[in-house]
Amino acid sequence: MNTFKIRLILAVLLPVACAAAVGARMEELRSGSYAPNSLGLITQAGAPALAENSSYEVASYPAFALQLADGPGRAETQIQCGSCHTPRYITMQPPLPAATWDAEVRKMIKTYGAQVSDADAQKIIRYLQANYTPETRR
Amino acid sequence: MHNRLRNAQANLPRRDWLRRIGASAAGLVLADSLNPYSLPAQEPSAGKPLPDFTGPGPNPHWNSVGAIVTEPEKAPLLLLTDRPVQLETPRHYFLSAFTPNEAFYVRWHLDRIPNAVDLKSWRLRVEGNVSTPLSLSLPQLMNKFPAESVAAVNQCSGNSRSRFQPRLPGAQWGNGAMGNALWTGARLLDVLAAAGIKSGSVQVQVQGLDSGEGPEGYGSRQFQKSLDLDNPALRDCLIAYAMNGEPLPMLNGFPVRLVVPGYFATYWMKGLSLIRVLDKPDENFWMKTAYRIPDTPRGSTTQQEISAGTVKTVPINRMPVRSFLISPDGNGKIPAGMTVNLKGIAFSGYARVSRIEISIDNLQPWRPAQLGEDHGPYSFRTWQFSWKTSTPGRHTVAVRATDEKGNTQLDEAVWNAGGYLWNRIERQEFTVGTAE
Repeated sequence: MNTFKIRLILAVLLPVACAAAVGARMEELRSGSYAPNSLGLITQAGAPALAENSSYEVASYPAFALQLADGPGRAETQIQCGSCHTPRYITMQPPLPAATWDAEVRKMIKTYGAQVSDADAQKIIRYLQANYTPETRR
Repeated sequence: MHNRLRNAQANLPRRDWLRRIGASAAGLVLADSLNPYSLPAQEPSAGKPLPDFTGPGPNPHWNSVGAIVTEPEKAPLLLLTDRPVQLETPRHYFLSAFTPNEAFYVRWHLDRIPNAVDLKSWRLRVEGNVSTPLSLSLPQLMNKFPAESVAAVNQCSGNSRSRFQPRLPGAQWGNGAMGNALWTGARLLDVLAAAGIKSGSVQVQVQGLDSGEGPEGYGSRQFQKSLDLDNPALRDCLIAYAMNGEPLPMLNGFPVRLVVPGYFATYWMKGLSLIRVLDKPDENFWMKTAYRIPDTPRGSTTQQEISAGTVKTVPINRMPVRSFLISPDGNGKIPAGMTVNLKGIAFSGYARVSRIEISIDNLQPWRPAQLGEDHGPYSFRTWQFSWKTSTPGRHTVAVRATDEKGNTQLDEAVWNAGGYLWNRIERQEFTVGTAE
């Protein structure tokens, strides 16, 4: 093979080899990727001041804001149910059948003594059935 | 080069249609099968939030899907409810036999949880059918009675409730409503002996510092539990003032709580402040109606049997044998040919765990795992197992435990109206990738 052919082959192969080498390294490795994301960002709370007395205290337990689903009956649900517990008791449930929501509200009134009027009970049950069943839960 | 990666991912099955039903990508597909914990979606999903609920199928994740929050005296934990407080322990804390106090799960029934206790005026009262009612300060409790310690698992009756099919209303725990601690305190029976139980007594009732908004006489006002005085479990009970050698966090019952080794946590009264010896069985809501299980071998029944009124119930009691794979958790891909050290825990409320076994891809026979240190019959027992991966693809690891009484986990669901007693064999799916 004469010099010209060798040089031609090298002139063609070397850049290809380099590109392939560079390309192969880039295909194995992805790096330097950042994207805005606020997930998992929790602000630390300062440590409490402790006094050398007999009182053992912690700060108020945090109440985290929660938006129940939009719809008629949301206000009654938020106010009546919220008198004893967070509405998260509703939102953490799996989608439940309409009959189950009816039974749960009746249990709050009959078993747990929630002071809820018949009218409000109806509104709350309808609201839960309209937003938190397998057919309606978003 | 980025395109090559993206194209590789695009060739895998699309799972968008599952998202509309609110199930995580792999979860619903696996729900009717052996239900291993789901793997992340094939599309780049890192950075996308989990939904705030799962179902109506079973929760496909090891933990519940709640947000991560910090609360007083607590590490970041998973939020179920903020009022009253219910927090779940993330999976990786169970790598160690003892659960750190700041990671211990939290479950309250009523919203008036103590924020402050003044030990100058706090007393543990022992009243009722006793010769000498007592009013003990914390120093008296610590000094008048010999201190004993026991390593014991505290598990919520409803732990793993989100596995049930069909799903039940209640706290939607994943597997993290449990923890193991070394509890130190006075023996319950020593304190009762000091008060002198009068004849005709049948039960001991316990009550804590918390209370609720409900009317007087309702379960929504006061949480109370009782144990029969002739129950052998009382011999192991402690009035614990230390947890892992430290004061109890406020959210886990400062200053003292009842410890009932082997029994579900409902009896482990937090903020224990009143012990009442009863001469009649306790008929309060939390004994008569709540926390009752079908009187069947696994505590299982059906909706039909309940509707027919043929189900006899008893108060929930000892914890069935359970085991868990903690790490690796399936979120990382394993290069084929690598030997991986599987690690986990097991426990039983009935007897010491004696055997833990692993099955890879449902191969028989099950193979024994190596047991870790024995901290006592009521403690977590750690285990490990060497898994030499070979074939790329999806692989499932199953783990089951057996205790010294011969109780063993089954590959069958549990169902009851309360969502209690889940102890089905646990499975975890892994992706083994090619290494060349």
